[in-house]
Amino acid sequence: MAYPYRDEREVRILSAHFGDPEARTLAGWRQRGGYEALGQALALSPEQVTEIVKNSALRGRGGAGFPTGLKWSFLRNDGRPHYVLVNSDESEPGAFKDRELCRWTPHQLLEGALINAYAIRAQHVYIYMRGEFFEPAQIVARAIDEAYAAGIAGPDVLGSGVTIDVTLHLGAGAYICGEETALMNSLEGRRGQPRVKPPFPAVFGAFGQPTNINNVETLCTVPHIIRNGADWWRSIGTDKSTGTKLFNMSGHLVRRGNFEFPLGFNMKELIYDVCGGIRDGRSLKAVIPGGSSVPMLAAHELDIPCAYERVATAGSKLGTASMIVMDDRTDIVKQVRRMVEFYAHESCGQCTPCREGTAWLARIMRRIEAGQGTEADLALLVDLGKNMTGTTICVLSDSAAAPVLSSLAKFKDEYLALIGRAAPVAAAV
Amino acid sequence: MAEERTPLQGGNPGWAGETGEYGHLTEADVRGTTYVGKRPPEGTSPGASCSYPYQVGGGRPDAPLFEGPYRERLDKILSRYPNRQGALLPVLALAQEIRGHLSPESMAEVAAALGLAPAYVRGVATFYTMYHKRPVGEHLVQVCTNVACNLCGADEVLRAFLAATGTEPGQISADGQYTVIEAECLGACGFPTAVQVNDRYFENVSPEAVPAILERLAQEAAARSSAAARQGS
Repeated sequence: MAYPYRDEREVRILSAHFGDPEARTLAGWRQRGGYEALGQALALSPEQVTEIVKNSALRGRGGAGFPTGLKWSFLRNDGRPHYVLVNSDESEPGAFKDRELCRWTPHQLLEGALINAYAIRAQHVYIYMRGEFFEPAQIVARAIDEAYAAGIAGPDVLGSGVTIDVTLHLGAGAYICGEETALMNSLEGRRGQPRVKPPFPAVFGAFGQPTNINNVETLCTVPHIIRNGADWWRSIGTDKSTGTKLFNMSGHLVRRGNFEFPLGFNMKELIYDVCGGIRDGRSLKAVIPGGSSVPMLAAHELDIPCAYERVATAGSKLGTASMIVMDDRTDIVKQVRRMVEFYAHESCGQCTPCREGTAWLARIMRRIEAGQGTEADLALLVDLGKNMTGTTICVLSDSAAAPVLSSLAKFKDEYLALIGRAAPVAAAV
Repeated sequence: MAEERTPLQGGNPGWAGETGEYGHLTEADVRGTTYVGKRPPEGTSPGASCSYPYQVGGGRPDAPLFEGPYRERLDKILSRYPNRQGALLPVLALAQEIRGHLSPESMAEVAAALGLAPAYVRGVATFYTMYHKRPVGEHLVQVCTNVACNLCGADEVLRAFLAATGTEPGQISADGQYTVIEAECLGACGFPTAVQVNDRYFENVSPEAVPAILERLAQEAAARSSAAARQGS
């Protein structure tokens, strides 16, 4: 049951118990089949567990869509300490799924994380949650306490002899810490600055040890895959985008919230039928389909399946499937300016194209919004945006450029209208 | 027990957001407060509740760091990391919980406790927005104005909080009760406008809901101080 609205077409796996306070508790979770999958996994070898996840073709839900089982298989049985990091730093504008998973089904997350730890022979799981998520953190903390008391976490997981500790670690307000290597630095008590890769986390991760990092939603799917099998998961969704996904729907929609659908569900149907279309009888202007870091789509581009490969073909990305829907009254320039200011604020400052580029983008966007822009500014935005794409350690820089470049390509009229209002430059000459 | 549920009206519940088709849920159901229960000052297990701070106002800038139950929490935190530097973020949060903000002196004490250089600790602390380098009001009101909330009127909500508290962004109100700031995305985009007040989110906040929220906060603060007075007497 998605929350706070449901739709009969949904396939509810991860969200089956949203809105059910009983499912939060260990007793309630066990009544709903909880921790059976962990028991099943512990009866297999770590390699067998990884193989099941690999065969399911599950792709990471943190935005990049990297094959999860493949990532797990990069860790070797080398006798070094291994770590599992749970990325619960959800702060991509538009995304609000991990918070729902943590606050409604904390044991679902713990079970997935423990299976992950067993599969890569990690003895310690760190759940890195953004500091603002204080309410979900308290819920997850309570669940960890319950798991320790019941022998599900700690020195002898479900009587298997395997030790897996779980520690909740809160961030302190930095978007960039959602980037995996920035998260590792932050966990180690450093500034949250992304690291140059290679070395990759599987070799040199948290505290210099082999590390596997996964998004909350990814880990929440794992118990279901272990219990029902890889073939079952692959039977849902498309060939390249298997299983279900939480779609986080926000903006000018009649019904906002999380909905769970098989990947490949039609975007137009999702927006107009499931979410009831646009509020106040307005029409749709634009959609950002995967969180603010991906290019926006115009109203005529929405008749596509929500699968990683298909949204890419349409010139954007599915990302976290966090759709921000904008109606026809939306001031695109203002909203892009707001997004760019966000990236300028959140840039860690390591790489010049990002540190300087985000600040300049924001300055130029403000100038245009104030009616003081010129046509040369538009060319400058494009030039800056291109120089910020693919030139830095992490993709924050690319993300800042995406809304600027895509809005200029699709809604240039709105920029031109603002420039038209400016005092004629020639008069000053 | 009286129902804690506030009726939902026009996206203006003033608490944990639009419950849509889950109208039977109480505020405690949504926030999970019954499940969470009370947490002692020293935290419970080292794995969980030692590592996150109590985000409530009322820190004392002259309070000693890491004594009594706080020493216990510090030790539990240290037991969870392979080195002392790993504990820096939670220990900074703990210091802020005790003193209300992180002065250079507090950062130096944290540095000493962890065997780190004071300049290093300041470099880390200033990277993160949730460490307050200056005092803030008893209630820190953070209004998300990022895109998903912005589309739904977050700028007006921010203005309403500033007007009702008579402050500029980041200022402490004359009565010491409020600091209002603009926040980046709070991760509650489906419940615009999202507002965080200390340890809680208020969701689907409209400008019209602002007086009721402030009234509720004032009532809760009054109840807390009279409870503290009873305990003291």
